[in-house]
Amino acid sequence: MRRSRALWAGITAVVFAVIPLLTRDTFALRVVTEAMMWIGLAVAWDVLGGYTGYLNFGHGAFFGLGAYTTAVLMMRGHWPFALALAAGGVLAGAAAVVAGLPTLRLKGAYFAIATWALARAVQQLALVLEFTGGPDGMRLPPFLNPQFFYYLMWALVSVIFVVLWILLEHSAFGLKLQAIREDEEGAMALGLKPTTIKIQAFVLSTVPAGILGGVYAYWITFIDPASVLGDLVTDQSVVMAVFGGLGTLVGPAVGAVLIYAFKTFFWAYLSEYQVLYLIILGTVIALSVVFLPDGLIGLLTGRGRAEAPRSPEPADENPPELREAAP
Amino acid sequence: MLWQLLPQAVLDGLLIGGVYITVALGFSLAFGVKHIIDFAVGEWIMLGAFLGYYLQGWTGLDPLLLLPVVFAVFTAVGYAIQPVIHRAVSGRRGNPVLMGLVFTFGLMLAIRGAGLTVFGFFSHSIPSVMSARSWFLEAGGLFVTVPAIRLVGFVYAIGITAVLHWVLRHTDFGLAVRALAQNRDAAGLMGINARRISSWVYGIHVGVSAMTGVVIGSIFSISAQMGGDYTILAFFVVVLAGMGYLAGVPWAAFLLGLVQSLFLVYGNPSYTLLAVFAILYLILLVSPRGLFAKGV
Amino acid sequence: MSRELLAVDQVSMIFGGLRALDDVSFSVGSGEIVGLIGPNGAGKTTLFNVVSGYCRPSRGRVRFDGKDVTGQRPFHLARLGIARTFQIVKPFAGLTVLENVTVACLLHHPRRRHARQKAWEILEFTGLAERAGRPASGLTLAGRKRLEIAKALSLNPRLLLLDEVVAGLNPTEADRTIELILNIHRSGVSILIVEHIMRVIMNISDRVAVLNYGAKIAEGPPQQVAQDPGVIEAYLGEAAA
Repeated sequence: MRRSRALWAGITAVVFAVIPLLTRDTFALRVVTEAMMWIGLAVAWDVLGGYTGYLNFGHGAFFGLGAYTTAVLMMRGHWPFALALAAGGVLAGAAAVVAGLPTLRLKGAYFAIATWALARAVQQLALVLEFTGGPDGMRLPPFLNPQFFYYLMWALVSVIFVVLWILLEHSAFGLKLQAIREDEEGAMALGLKPTTIKIQAFVLSTVPAGILGGVYAYWITFIDPASVLGDLVTDQSVVMAVFGGLGTLVGPAVGAVLIYAFKTFFWAYLSEYQVLYLIILGTVIALSVVFLPDGLIGLLTGRGRAEAPRSPEPADENPPELREAAP
Repeated sequence: MLWQLLPQAVLDGLLIGGVYITVALGFSLAFGVKHIIDFAVGEWIMLGAFLGYYLQGWTGLDPLLLLPVVFAVFTAVGYAIQPVIHRAVSGRRGNPVLMGLVFTFGLMLAIRGAGLTVFGFFSHSIPSVMSARSWFLEAGGLFVTVPAIRLVGFVYAIGITAVLHWVLRHTDFGLAVRALAQNRDAAGLMGINARRISSWVYGIHVGVSAMTGVVIGSIFSISAQMGGDYTILAFFVVVLAGMGYLAGVPWAAFLLGLVQSLFLVYGNPSYTLLAVFAILYLILLVSPRGLFAKGV
Repeated sequence: MSRELLAVDQVSMIFGGLRALDDVSFSVGSGEIVGLIGPNGAGKTTLFNVVSGYCRPSRGRVRFDGKDVTGQRPFHLARLGIARTFQIVKPFAGLTVLENVTVACLLHHPRRRHARQKAWEILEFTGLAERAGRPASGLTLAGRKRLEIAKALSLNPRLLLLDEVVAGLNPTEADRTIELILNIHRSGVSILIVEHIMRVIMNISDRVAVLNYGAKIAEGPPQQVAQDPGVIEAYLGEAAA
């Protein structure tokens, strides 16, 4: 079972690796590159959303932070791309610590609100600051080599996937996250420090987003607050993860491919109805919650983990025959 | 020179703060009773505003006269949606609050998309007869202008707050709502139909928010993209007040109105949102239960 | 009396004017089983919350193994060797029974593989092994209470706080749980147990402390406490109410 999963992951990686050898079509290459990016974003979102049970409605802010950091360091600081990219990841992680400290001590509702507000604040910040180019955005030095970006994305997303796979499915960390998702108080009694662990998960979720943002900026060569800091990155990541299956790695990856493929067709053939896409995204996620709480992956594998019937016995009541009133 | 602008800034802030009460009131009620964070709150405001806009176009009536119609329509909409939300949060998934959040988030996206599709990207306003009027006051060398429509908005907000307060305190329905907010199981034992009450609560939240949209449309402008801004305002007010703590809402709303109008006069308005966010952050850091909530 | 492991020293706990604990002092010696009884609402669970770090007492100190641990957080205390169960059982519902116990084993076996091995041992010991792969939410009440004990035991505690782990079980299940508790005790763990069922407390405790309205009204060997007029009155009062 486990071996066959690893085999499938390997086959998928190899298939993605040879695609550029089979086609010279730049549009196709571009589509697959971006699909891989969304896999990375959705899977990273799920570290906190699915495994830990804290919904980050500001995922896009960390993606945008990485994009802007890379752009600013390359353009204003003349840093080499690799270094600027790394800095973008570090900054996204640092931002998660700052944003997580007050909010991850509280119930999930606060966190959801705070991250959503954070995304708007970061967008506003990029609009008013000088060195980000304000509403005009920034241009990066064009490096027009689709193959380079394809393989870079392939390598990064593979690393992200493998690292998360090891951390979440094979090491203690993933189990701790799930324990906290299920019951924070109970987890404390077992020696887990929820706030620390949640912040670690938040960082683990946002660093990949920041790095992918940096790659995106250099690849597309133009960023502005509307494109990299708009709502769409968050909206799509959330929908992909929920639709695919929360709390798994394969689920969000499958969700990402399906949703992104749908979006590509939709925007290609119905480009004048782009806003309709929002309706579809919203409907898909709302319906998923009601009818597919375990996502597509739950449907495919039939694994309803939290499903098993509640105990048929009554709650913690002492049956009368066992109660002895007085000593 | 600058301090002479202060009375006007404070007045504007209080008047607008009044409207923010109603932006956040329904939202806070829904959270207090059902523990649902309604990400769609701003979208209900947007939809209500557009219903007002089109109704005015068809009937030619003053938008303020249309408020009851908008309220009735959207209370019905909210009432009808609540069972779906209930289904989302009572599924077999471990964390119902989580699923509720995702659901209303999806609702927000769908409504925003629908709004942009149907209403387009243009801004409109819903002028009332009061929109053009204003009073000019002078005292001790200080001048203030009181735009009539803002005063109407303020009175509307205070009125709605008072009515809601009265309903919650002095009716059987209000007692049931409060019982439900305190303890679901006990409320069930008392023979309260939790589902019906929840539907009414969500209905009232949606109705009040939609109605507020019309008032906002007669003061400012409306557009299909407006929802997000008001959702943020509602979040801010509710976190400042203490989540689900209704009595804190007015004070938090006034504070927000003041911050905004002071920034408008003395600062750079494009930093308003950032300032609001900074305040939100500090509150969460220092006093996570809000500034106005007492005890737990 | 043996060497003192846990000492609760004049602890009071006030919730908004309500005195949930009133100047309570008692101790658990190394190797002892101490029973904690009292009518509903007497403050037993509050006292557990204070000792296990879920509540900081309004007044008074808690010492564990000679060190002052007042107000320390639950995860620190777990590390020091205090483990507890919850009256309202808290399994990680979405995880399997094995995963539930593995999480607890991580405290002393930081690698997931080692923790899993240790968890199997614990499951064998507590009689849950054949249900290892099932989701915890699918267990019966008896199973979930046993899982609570298994998780607490995985922390390798020196002091185990058991909050009504027998209540609600049928007589056969109850006997098996009592046997388990005695086995744990034999392996050298000191136990503080809250239980409604007198038969259990009286049979297994070395000493019993009685709480009523947040105050300790009696303490001593089970037989002596059972004949204490104040204790009888407290319980009859509850029965009459």
